[in-house]
Amino acid sequence: MPTDTKRVRGPEASQSPSLFVSKPAAAPPSLGTRADGRRWGQVDVRPLFVRCGLVSQAKGSAYLEAGSTKLLCGVYGPKETERKDETDMKCGRLTTDMRFAPFSCPERGSWIQGSQDKDLSQMLHESLQPAVCLQKYPRSQIEVNVMVLENSGSVLAHAITCASLALADAGIEMYDLVLGCSIRQDGDSYVVDPSYTEQNSCSSVDSDNQGNLTVAFLPSLNQISGLQSDGEMTEETLTAGVRTCIEGCYKLYPVIQQALAKAVRRAAPPPSES
Amino acid sequence: MAVMEARCSSSVMLREFACEQNFLSQPDGSASFVHGDTSVYAGVYGPAEVKVSKEIYDRATLEVLIQPKVGLPGVRERSQEQCVRETCEASLLLSLHPRSSLTLILQVLHDDGSLLSCLLNAACMSLMDAGLPMSCLFCGVTCAIDADGQIITDPTAAQEKESRALMTFAIDSKKHNVLMTSTKGSFSVNELQQCIAVSQKASEKLFQFYRDSVRRRYSKTL
Amino acid sequence: MAAGFKTAEPLEYHRSFLKENCRPDGRELSEFRTTTLNIGSISTADGSALVKLGNTTVICGIKAELANPPVEGPGKGYIVPNVDLPPLCSSRFRPGPPGEQAQAASQFIADVIESSEVIQTEDLCIERGKLCWVLYCDLMCLDYDGNLLDACIVALLAALKNTQLPDVTISTETSAPEVNLEKRRGLHIHKHPVATSFCIFDDSVLIVDPTAEEESLATAQLAVVTDEEGRLCSLHKPGGTSLSGEKLQECISRATVRQREIQKLINKVLHSVKTDQ
Repeated sequence: MPTDTKRVRGPEASQSPSLFVSKPAAAPPSLGTRADGRRWGQVDVRPLFVRCGLVSQAKGSAYLEAGSTKLLCGVYGPKETERKDETDMKCGRLTTDMRFAPFSCPERGSWIQGSQDKDLSQMLHESLQPAVCLQKYPRSQIEVNVMVLENSGSVLAHAITCASLALADAGIEMYDLVLGCSIRQDGDSYVVDPSYTEQNSCSSVDSDNQGNLTVAFLPSLNQISGLQSDGEMTEETLTAGVRTCIEGCYKLYPVIQQALAKAVRRAAPPPSES
Repeated sequence: MAVMEARCSSSVMLREFACEQNFLSQPDGSASFVHGDTSVYAGVYGPAEVKVSKEIYDRATLEVLIQPKVGLPGVRERSQEQCVRETCEASLLLSLHPRSSLTLILQVLHDDGSLLSCLLNAACMSLMDAGLPMSCLFCGVTCAIDADGQIITDPTAAQEKESRALMTFAIDSKKHNVLMTSTKGSFSVNELQQCIAVSQKASEKLFQFYRDSVRRRYSKTL
Repeated sequence: MAAGFKTAEPLEYHRSFLKENCRPDGRELSEFRTTTLNIGSISTADGSALVKLGNTTVICGIKAELANPPVEGPGKGYIVPNVDLPPLCSSRFRPGPPGEQAQAASQFIADVIESSEVIQTEDLCIERGKLCWVLYCDLMCLDYDGNLLDACIVALLAALKNTQLPDVTISTETSAPEVNLEKRRGLHIHKHPVATSFCIFDDSVLIVDPTAEEESLATAQLAVVTDEEGRLCSLHKPGGTSLSGEKLQECISRATVRQREIQKLINKVLHSVKTDQ
């Protein structure tokens, strides 16, 4: 393994203390209620906190908190494309970079971007691109940077919501906002907006219909811009899952609209009455 | 005060240093500098064409690269590079060469303490050899404070290890002011002032050495 | 008009303010931006803190892991600080491995930890020669508006004070470590180092807590780190124009005042976190 010379180095190898826990972890809670009090099989998204304009240096930015999942997104541009050979005369370029802070997951991550980060960046890109009017920004590029500060599940879905809000805050022309929602299918039942442990656990022995599904949705156009699913699900379960996700997205919509309206009001205060 | 003065002057003990300029044929300027067993080679290239991404419209871009004795440069070298670069930037008249690049490469041959000051001295001699316009010269002096509170100038690696605090200063030749400081260990304000005073005194010796070595060299060639 | 002047002649714009002993954002020369601190906001980390210094935001998360002690110090542990400047925090940083500024900052933080002995690495040893803690202190800048070093040191100190290490015992039968995540204890913080950064404008004017714009226009920068006993842990001036003895003295006295302010702030926030629980 090549050594990382650009960072302060620690010991050659180290293990997370959670590997040496003597007592077994508490038994998963019974079917019906979830660890955080939400219910199975219901479109119960975690309460959302969103705020625009926290990064002073960025053109637009958004911070999103859902349960303990915390994300920050900054948008830079439109600016001149860096790689001259890829300059498109008619259309702008959207670049996305999604990264996890090393302390964001229960196990410490490395600073070097792994394949998971790259996959997620790619999916984020695919979900956002259809919503942005890129033809209005010829020969320029728009950068979307997402940083996951704490990963408590459904990161991709929330990253999509957060990034579209930051794009809107930056004043980038868009057809619609993009909202993300994910579910975890577990046998006949499902959980909406799963937490980190829910996302990675499987309670029923039955191996049918196990999987995660993330949908990116344009609410006012009623279109889906991105869909990512893993695991194995029957066709009916999958379509039902997509419907559930859309329902979840509609639940987020008013919160996002409000945050955006607030940001706009702050940027351009309404003329005073007098 | 007189006592301290006496102690200061008596403690300005520098190891033997030596320097050779223009010993490499390829670079535009080169120098080797030796402090006791600590030894550094320096080479300067430029002013030359600069990469568009690094171009600065009103002055030259200076790049400093430090190569350790073994292995690849790491975070420590990067921090030393920053110190050397910003010291050189302060004394070079970079605005005379806008939109061009200067590259200073420092190769560590052996580290036996006071490395950063040796790097600075080698850098200054090689810049001089390259004939780059400078507003003043600079030199590096390292001071260590040992467990008894004694100030040791130009410590060896063993002395550095035993010391309580270690400070390196870059001092300019015009007013003997401090251009750069880099410290390790904790120390009081008083100790800092004393170390600065000692270093300023030591710098006179170094500048005299600079002068002598350049004079010697040109008396041979001319 | 003012906006045009600022863009076209940034240096002249700043000089016109400094002549009147104030700065474009309304601060005096020796005035810090408002510092806010949020401790323990990241539950996946063993200790965390978020610091805002005006617009500059730095988050520090500490993760503790187990490792074999270093060969050269069998009774010691490791502290591994790293600073990252992701492209998110400013358009001046590119994605990819850390650049020179981030690396120099990492080294500076590592030097301050070692010099100030904020934590003694002996405290991190669990069993001599067999097992020790590694504290990965990852600092990430979320919004870069100058004075990275000050914000980093405050974030690091607050996060260290917030860190709770799980209890580890070494089983006598298997000689494997056993971890009890429920039972945790705090770290012993020996010193409270605080950094104070300055910029020198036009070789003479000294300003404290520079913004990103002030940093780029200044002729020199320096950082003074002091602890609660008034001792200097680091005087970092990477170069630039020279500084007279009186000015240096001025910097050091400002730094000691700042140290007290920050220590008070950290204690206040820690106290409010504790009473909340």
